[in-house]
Amino acid sequence: MASDTRRANHARETGLLGWLDGSLASVVLGSVAVVFVAGLVQVSFGTYSMTLAEAWRAVFDPDVVFDPQVWNAFLVGGELPEMSKRNLVVWNIRVPRVLVAALVGTNLAVSGAIFQAITRNELASPYVLGVSSGAGLAVLLTLVVFSGLAPFLPIFASLGGAVAFLLVYGIAWKGGTSPVRLVLAGIIVSTIFWSLQQGLFYLADDLGVVQSAIAWTTGSLTGVDWAQVRIALPWTALSVLLALAGARQLNVLLLGERTAKSLGMSVETVRFALAGVAVLAASAAISVAGIVSFVGLVVPHMVRTVVGTDYKRLVVGCIFAGPALVVVADVGARLALNPTQVPVGVVTGLVGGPYFLYLMRKQREMGEL
Amino acid sequence: MNTGRERATTAEDESATRTEGERTPTERDERATTGDSEVESALLGEDLEVGYPTTEEPVVECTRIDVPEGEITALVGPNGSGKSTLLKALSDHLEPEQGVVALNGRNIEEFGGKELARELGHLSQENDSPESLTVEELVYHGRYPHRGFFDSVTEADHEAVERAIDIAGVEELRDREVGALSGGQKQLVWIAMVLAQETDVLLLDEPTTFLDLHHQLRVLETIRRLNEEQDVTVAVVLHDLSQAVRFADYIVAMDDGGIYDWGPPEDVVTEQLLVDVFGVDAAVTRSPELQILPKRALTDE
Repeated sequence: MASDTRRANHARETGLLGWLDGSLASVVLGSVAVVFVAGLVQVSFGTYSMTLAEAWRAVFDPDVVFDPQVWNAFLVGGELPEMSKRNLVVWNIRVPRVLVAALVGTNLAVSGAIFQAITRNELASPYVLGVSSGAGLAVLLTLVVFSGLAPFLPIFASLGGAVAFLLVYGIAWKGGTSPVRLVLAGIIVSTIFWSLQQGLFYLADDLGVVQSAIAWTTGSLTGVDWAQVRIALPWTALSVLLALAGARQLNVLLLGERTAKSLGMSVETVRFALAGVAVLAASAAISVAGIVSFVGLVVPHMVRTVVGTDYKRLVVGCIFAGPALVVVADVGARLALNPTQVPVGVVTGLVGGPYFLYLMRKQREMGEL
Repeated sequence: MNTGRERATTAEDESATRTEGERTPTERDERATTGDSEVESALLGEDLEVGYPTTEEPVVECTRIDVPEGEITALVGPNGSGKSTLLKALSDHLEPEQGVVALNGRNIEEFGGKELARELGHLSQENDSPESLTVEELVYHGRYPHRGFFDSVTEADHEAVERAIDIAGVEELRDREVGALSGGQKQLVWIAMVLAQETDVLLLDEPTTFLDLHHQLRVLETIRRLNEEQDVTVAVVLHDLSQAVRFADYIVAMDDGGIYDWGPPEDVVTEQLLVDVFGVDAAVTRSPELQILPKRALTDE
């Protein structure tokens, strides 16, 4: 009898929406609210100023929202039909920036969550396996050495990250890998690539090139529009789906390699595949925003304190909480020193750092998954 | 194929190269051939040489190791004698440099990962899990080899988990977080997880070490129950020889990376074994039941 009700309980827990309980729902709804409010602030203010009511009206203008031709222009890149100046500013400049910020947040948070499971370390970030240093070096090389290839910078940045990741894996591999070997190899590759990157900075003779390089290596959303949404959206969708599908594998990996192997998992294959998903997500973010730091480290951590270590819930939480942090940070990046815009990566560090400090002081145990 | 004579030859070869002044080969031969020569092995290792990438010499060398089907086999021996290493080789956690391990007559290398995990369970000596994982969630992970990539939890999974929780006696811990449990409770919970795998063969590496007496006995009783009720073949590394004698049907005594002797406890456990393998002067009494009374540690001369 008792076991029957238990079983029913568990059936509910493991059912289609069983994982959606109070704590996760609060993360999801809270994040959506934050994104919404910050997004509205973002579309209302700026050089072309309008009131909140005007911005609100523009965002929900049925002529735009229900016009398939507009969406065709936004999502596929077709011809944009004529619209009022206000609508144009809101829909063609400010809304895509909010969307790109949200996509970047999702990617980095999910990527960080995966890397934290793979390395079994709560302090791992999407960049722990050399992705940021590889991307950074590729950016500098493109801007300083191969400046003719600058239009392909987003692709090179992502590729640089992926190549560095493969290099890290190759260095760590010795009849197999381990979390510690991977992290150490990541440090080795990062150190070397970072030095090369700094050396290249020295060779740049143009202030514009240096600023552009800094924007890329600290992460910036200045000037993004629907083209960036089109770049990031499909990869984000793919990596999020793969991360959700791999949630149970991540949970089993958290039990340790030996246990995972005893349970019949091909640990190396699964680990490499999941790391690949995480690199894909990080690369999608890098290709549109550069290397935004701290989001991938702090968001999974924040979500974990609320929903626990189960990866299905954690990944879902990250999909929503990541955008909350990045969209808010980008409001600061764009409007705090108006008209000057600072890289969003600077603000995520300024917002995320103190929050991390707060978590660290509040929690007794940290660094253990 | 599985005659006592082969085993006896094995043990004799190995011990003869190391120690002197033990039983003569004929005595060993007689003992090993009587009684248990018709045993069916669930798990069988032959001509094994097992080492780690960092070691030059193999850590374990044995010509033959049997884990008889439907019985409990205890691996005993002093620290560093290679018990855990041998168990790792038997469970495919460590690929032997030489030799073959066969499960029900089939080389374990030929099994797929999940396929092997449905037949053979292995629990390491120390296990680590996220602190906030609940006991029930952990036990459900034991169903991993039975589930496809996209499969959700089936009725068979529920039943296996309920059974595992019941056999391990951890019903009252079900909703607790693993991080909040005592060492003994944790071990029982991990055993429940490996039981949920529903394997026919179970290998356990020192499941009772570091536990208080109460939990040591609960772990051993769980193993005994599992063996009797579900007919599961068990190989278990035990630190405590007296426990091994009480709970196991067979004893494999290991010494310095080789198998010193093999057989039912009454045959294997002798005063000579305690001297040779454990370096202990002890009295072994055989009636009313086999008992070991250690007296003093022998110093190496």
